Amino acid sequence: MSFDGFPPFISAQLHYLVNHFAERIKVEQVLSGGKTYAGGLDRFTLLIPYCLDYIKWDIIYNAEFPLAPPDVIFGPEDEDFHPLHMTGSVGEGDLKFQNILSDWNHKDPTRLLALIQELRDRYVAYQKKRVGEVDDDRLKFEISTICSREGIEMQISSGAEKPEEVKFAVPLMDMNINKMVHGCPWRHPQKIYLQVIYPVGKKYASTPSPPRLKLMSTTELRALFSIEDVKLPSWLDGMCMAEYLPHLEESLQKQVVEAVSLIDIRRRFIESLAPLFGRPLEADPVFCRKATFLASSGSFVFLVHLLISTQFPKQQPALMLQSSQHISPQGISKKSPLLSEYPWSPRWETSQMAERIFDFMADESLNFKRFCSESQPQH
Amino acid sequence: MGLGDHKLAVSLPGPTLASMIQRLSSSTADVDGLLFGHVSYIAPSTLPDDPAQASPDSQLLATISGFLCFPSLLSFYDSLGRVDPSRLSSTTPLIGWFSSRRKTPLRPSMREFSVTRSLSSTPSLSLPIQNSDPHSLFAPSIFLLFTTPLQDQFIQTNQYRAFHFQSSRPCFNPLSVDVVNIGPAFRGHYGSFSPTSVLPFLSCELRSLTPMNEDRNEETLIGMKQVEKDQSLLDTCAEGMQVGRLSRLIEATNYSSGLEDLYEKMLLKTESLARLVEASSAKVLEQENHNRKLRYKVARSVGVE
Repeated sequence: MSFDGFPPFISAQLHYLVNHFAERIKVEQVLSGGKTYAGGLDRFTLLIPYCLDYIKWDIIYNAEFPLAPPDVIFGPEDEDFHPLHMTGSVGEGDLKFQNILSDWNHKDPTRLLALIQELRDRYVAYQKKRVGEVDDDRLKFEISTICSREGIEMQISSGAEKPEEVKFAVPLMDMNINKMVHGCPWRHPQKIYLQVIYPVGKKYASTPSPPRLKLMSTTELRALFSIEDVKLPSWLDGMCMAEYLPHLEESLQKQVVEAVSLIDIRRRFIESLAPLFGRPLEADPVFCRKATFLASSGSFVFLVHLLISTQFPKQQPALMLQSSQHISPQGISKKSPLLSEYPWSPRWETSQMAERIFDFMADESLNFKRFCSESQPQH
Repeated sequence: MGLGDHKLAVSLPGPTLASMIQRLSSSTADVDGLLFGHVSYIAPSTLPDDPAQASPDSQLLATISGFLCFPSLLSFYDSLGRVDPSRLSSTTPLIGWFSSRRKTPLRPSMREFSVTRSLSSTPSLSLPIQNSDPHSLFAPSIFLLFTTPLQDQFIQTNQYRAFHFQSSRPCFNPLSVDVVNIGPAFRGHYGSFSPTSVLPFLSCELRSLTPMNEDRNEETLIGMKQVEKDQSLLDTCAEGMQVGRLSRLIEATNYSSGLEDLYEKMLLKTESLARLVEASSAKVLEQENHNRKLRYKVARSVGVE
């Protein structure tokens, strides 16, 4: 994003924050607090990832008064969050946090990042304390057994309309997926989380209802591994997270390792297409999910796009043809619909897969040529 | 009886609110400042038959009568929101503070929480509650927040909300603000109005100065001196129009011209005061503009380095 319109000292700090924060942070609602816009933009809303959701904090600088550190307004549901007056916390951290504000130096671009990181750490502690105060035996047990897990985040949510719930975001598997992918393009570490939502127990209910479970991952991970394809083991009555997680992690770990090994299988498949179609015009070099070849049938020249799912070779690649000679009235070159129904067996050798696709293309190109010229307006 | 037992209400005269909004909306950036006024105890209108029963009507009324706006932030507190009591005079009746920030949510911020908390927990700043026993004190715990809507509006819109800081929890409790204007609906407020004027209590009788009543003057020398002192104080207020002359106005002769003379003198004094205020305001504005330019330089200097 661009940071035009900010005074240089704010722009430098915001830039540094967005580029160096461990997770993807969003900036919204950029406004100016001046009487006119002459002073420049000086207030904005930060969307900070927390517990598989975002918390929205308003950061208020004063363009007229750069020497003062920015002020922060927290969300309406967090009116008890007072990071400057937290009791029973952190000791040494208190001093560090206070120093960020009391020795504020507007010329130092790293300051906003330091402030937000410190505030977020305090927010984690604040939510943990709130969840700990919930009067629910099962939750108390879960927290006592799971708390030592690194990176676990929790949040209590209660609206006027909906019943009280406690949400956990449990990072799964202590493995660095970024390192496993050769030539990894991801800037942020990729992770898989289990979201566990506990309804807070009514005292009179005899058996507590099971928690709602959902696997979630960082968005970029989808290029390698589709979290929707994972089948969660069932939650048995009277189970706790400490029992549930090891099995899930074990099976997930296997699946991720397999997903990484599938990259090579897709690569070999694309390579085996080359003797038949010629060198690909374009191919996804990291995850090998896409490749485009130039093909011709007589004088009819067209492109073949292959879209390869993470389930390859179980699932066959989807094909799409694109003419380089026929252009629709809207000025877009003609494309076929996605073709994913053709003879296929995951047990074939890659060379056989390539041959079968080539044969199918030879037939399909005639259909496609007819489709293109039929719909072409006659001159 | 602690403070928590009473309901607190805030009353704010319309002209004070208007002049605050005028001051805040004319400032170039976010500003804040102090609120002055007094707090009085309003006894329950009905006495309960059962003494154990809490009287529901008893309440404290905080009246905001004035404000002081600082041209920049961090004026009486530091960046952690800690109030420096040495920068606040303890003689003025401080009942709280206010903050104005454009295009922000109408909720107290991190710093505002700290400042209010620090202000209301500084014992030297507490003020006595009127109509109450002399030991009950009110901490300056009122916070008035002014914002404008996030989106630009065709009509200039100002939002405000008052809070009372509760030190025991600690948290902000929203307060209802009663804006007092002129009109029949507000007559009750003027009934309980108590002026706080710098005019001295005058013990001198005007008639004593007329020669006819000279023999009735049986005051001692000290008394006469006191009268003289009061007389001169009163004369400064009347701008040369001696109070003695007022008595002559009672006589029919020169009645209207004498009164006109008095009003003219008073007007002159008001006008000269207005000129003084105008001149000093111009100087303040000039200085503020100069300060702004300096701050602007500081803000831009980052880009140059």
